Amino acid sequence: MSHGAAEVVSAPAAGLDFLDVGAEIAARSPWQLFWRRFRRDRVALVSLAFIAFLIVLAFGAPLVVSLLGLPGPDVQNLNLTDSFGSPLGPSSAHPFGVDPLGQDVMSRVIYGTRVSLEVAILGTAIATLIGVTIGTLAGFYRGWVDTLLARTMDVFLSIPILLLGLGIGAACAVRGCVGGVIQPGLGLIIFLIALATWPLIARIVRGLVLSLREREFIEASRALGASDLRIMFREILPNLAAPIIVYASLQIPFNILFEASLSYLGVGIRPPTPSWGQMIAAATPIFNTAWWYMVFPGAALLATVLAFNLLGDGLRDALNPRGA
Amino acid sequence: MRSTSTVAGVALAAAAALLISACGSSSSGSTGNAGGGASAVSTGGFASPATESLSGGKRGGMLVVLNESDFEHLDPGIAYYAVDYEVVFATQRPLYSNKPNSQEPTPDMASGPAEISPDNKTVTVHLKEGVHFSPPVNREVTSEDVAYAIERGANPNVVNPYFLSYFKAIEGAPEASGGPIRGIQTPNKHTIVFHLTEPKGQIVADALVLPLSAAVPKDYAEKFDKDKPSDYANYQVATGPYMLKNNAEGKVLGIGYIPGKSATLVRNPSWKANTDYRPAYLDEIDIKIGGTNTVIGRQVLEGTNVVQNEPPAQASIRLAAEKFKSQLEIAPGAGSHYIAVNNKVGPFSNIDLRKAVWAALDRTAMNKARGGELVTNVATHFIFPTIPGFEQAGGLAGPKVDYNEHPEGDAAVAEKYIKLAGYASGKYTGGQTLEIVGSRGGPAEADAEIANQTLKNLGFTTKLTLVEPATMYSKYCGVPKEEIEVCPSVGVADDFADPQTVLNISFNGKLINPTENNNWGQVNVPAINAAMTAAESVIGTSARATAWAKIDDELVQDAAAIPFDWDKQANIEGSEVKGVGDLWDVGEWDYNYTSLK
Repeated sequence: MSHGAAEVVSAPAAGLDFLDVGAEIAARSPWQLFWRRFRRDRVALVSLAFIAFLIVLAFGAPLVVSLLGLPGPDVQNLNLTDSFGSPLGPSSAHPFGVDPLGQDVMSRVIYGTRVSLEVAILGTAIATLIGVTIGTLAGFYRGWVDTLLARTMDVFLSIPILLLGLGIGAACAVRGCVGGVIQPGLGLIIFLIALATWPLIARIVRGLVLSLREREFIEASRALGASDLRIMFREILPNLAAPIIVYASLQIPFNILFEASLSYLGVGIRPPTPSWGQMIAAATPIFNTAWWYMVFPGAALLATVLAFNLLGDGLRDALNPRGA
Repeated sequence: MRSTSTVAGVALAAAAALLISACGSSSSGSTGNAGGGASAVSTGGFASPATESLSGGKRGGMLVVLNESDFEHLDPGIAYYAVDYEVVFATQRPLYSNKPNSQEPTPDMASGPAEISPDNKTVTVHLKEGVHFSPPVNREVTSEDVAYAIERGANPNVVNPYFLSYFKAIEGAPEASGGPIRGIQTPNKHTIVFHLTEPKGQIVADALVLPLSAAVPKDYAEKFDKDKPSDYANYQVATGPYMLKNNAEGKVLGIGYIPGKSATLVRNPSWKANTDYRPAYLDEIDIKIGGTNTVIGRQVLEGTNVVQNEPPAQASIRLAAEKFKSQLEIAPGAGSHYIAVNNKVGPFSNIDLRKAVWAALDRTAMNKARGGELVTNVATHFIFPTIPGFEQAGGLAGPKVDYNEHPEGDAAVAEKYIKLAGYASGKYTGGQTLEIVGSRGGPAEADAEIANQTLKNLGFTTKLTLVEPATMYSKYCGVPKEEIEVCPSVGVADDFADPQTVLNISFNGKLINPTENNNWGQVNVPAINAAMTAAESVIGTSARATAWAKIDDELVQDAAAIPFDWDKQANIEGSEVKGVGDLWDVGEWDYNYTSLK
């Protein structure tokens, strides 16, 4: 963890060249150091590339589907089922096969990327924003503020979030709740993820702030007359960037799985919007006759979660090598 | 009328209809005149209840029955769904019941046909002598036991689901609450008479095939009926060939029925074969509750003395049809499905928009998603195959109206009707978002998605929500004030072989209720209501078939709803089972006739 100042290292930074007294000494920022460490991690780099590919796929889904010559994700064609109504398997026209409505599974897997990434990134971003803010306030002010906020975190952590999701999904299914504000679908899942995960990051941030607020550079800022807000958000927070990034990156795969779980249980994304969890749920009863319907969305889910996990590990190692 | 999805995946309710004439049964030919139309329904070359032999079964042995779901109610006064009927019709004897291959009521506890007075306001039934209750009651059944059985249907601790639908015309029935009903009289031990306030003798007599008319001993059951809810189911006694295993005090719960786990039917020692038409081949029926449908399907097909009680999964039907052909039975007349559109409020209060949806819907696709032609027929009107009136209402082809002529959907006809509705572009541009509430899981989910896509193609903006089947009915489609525009997959089955049980509750505007409403589309056409009222009093199967077929036609002309599927029930059995399904219900196994090879 840095305190805002660049570390100074020898230019070659390898072997015994540093013994060369005449060598030029260059200063590297923490981010340069991070990048030097991160790019040595091949697994993390591949994961990053895969996630970048997923993001491109999510944004460019209509174009990708069109370029591949696939029908849109909602195009139903019951002629692509057999006389028992069982969907047909992979073929050149439908590389991942079709589902019981004759919808192209590959097309739906590609579009399903959008939901997974939207939920994961937005849910994580909101949870991080709330968690960092409340964790900082609790750690910085201590006393009754800390007690109040810490107990609030405990309360939120006690909520059985999956059951809450099921309950809200059932109770607010059609017209929504609170005048239609809470509706099943993407918004509800993002809300639940934020609700469930902000206390986790808040706890981590609180602990770090409690430690940082006693450091000399904070004392110096205070002596110079800096306001609380400035100290919190200009002095302390930049020093928390690394753990926050690491934590958030590890939270994303959890959130992807959470969305898949809710969709699997039927309270997630509304049909016909494709969602991997929903596809896996629909495929379960017909796995014996249509394995492709479960395998491809399942593989997409597995690969995505794995990529985010490995990227998170890589970020953690690169940002905090001593803790790795 | 029973909604088929109230216990979705468990029970398509009874489809008691007229199939026998077409299938070579020994039953009377009168049913053929009623136009059940079963002969037109293909069973794909597989066995059908109509072709199964009812005699010559081997006596003895234990049959294992695999139920994915638990029972709803085992009390004969409450039981209403097929999952319950498997037990109730093996343990209880209503006044009338059906042989497996017949929709013609056979006197069961009764000694002969019901006598309906010329004014259609009195129904008299004579009972057999020598029928006894199972232990611990053991005594002979009397007419007072039948009277009590029906009277307790109005007991708030029992709450029979169809009491008012069919027995409301009995004097004193509407205000009854479990005590004696003045319109039910028992002049002697073996005669019961029903006095009616309206000329509805035929429908009351027909309804005596329902399990509510199965005798219940007042002296024994009254104490259990004082509990709320009644505890009689857990201490019930039987009149049929089998009884739920019990102890000396008659307790069934935890012995012959363990909720969520099992039910055990053993022979009723008080049953006398000479008083009954059932062969009752099996010694014991061991019902195991739990598991998943697809796994059960495989266990059954690869097993020996085992059957699946519920409708098998599509994958199991396919497996059976391809590899276990002799272990598959297909029964026509297992109910129907249609799209209920809100006739009262919203865009579909416009008849032309309803016709547009009917024209545009690819009903063949809907049926394929339900498992294809082996288990479905494309619906073209509302009275489904095997029900009297089916042929008169148009048979398989249905009425000749342009929006009904192309089951695969006709965009041009749909466009025509949208223009007639006032949308010159041929697409709906009214701007209202349609609230669509469908059932989650199984083929009903596919129905919802196909309907949703059809509506979007017509220009509607839609919001599709999938909920549990029971929730769909109880919270949304069955509650008019929710103003749901489209319920894309509601299911209907008859209670017994009469078209009134299919059409009346579903489409009679006088029967719209604020909750638990079964007229899901809130269809309320005064002329149709009046026609239904008149048809309720018609006597004779053929005459009733004609009257109700005309109403069916009027509903089609009004595009009151969009029918898309007539169900056939698939049944699967183990290799050592000689299963006999039934036509009068949804085709499920009849354990009074099923035997082991």
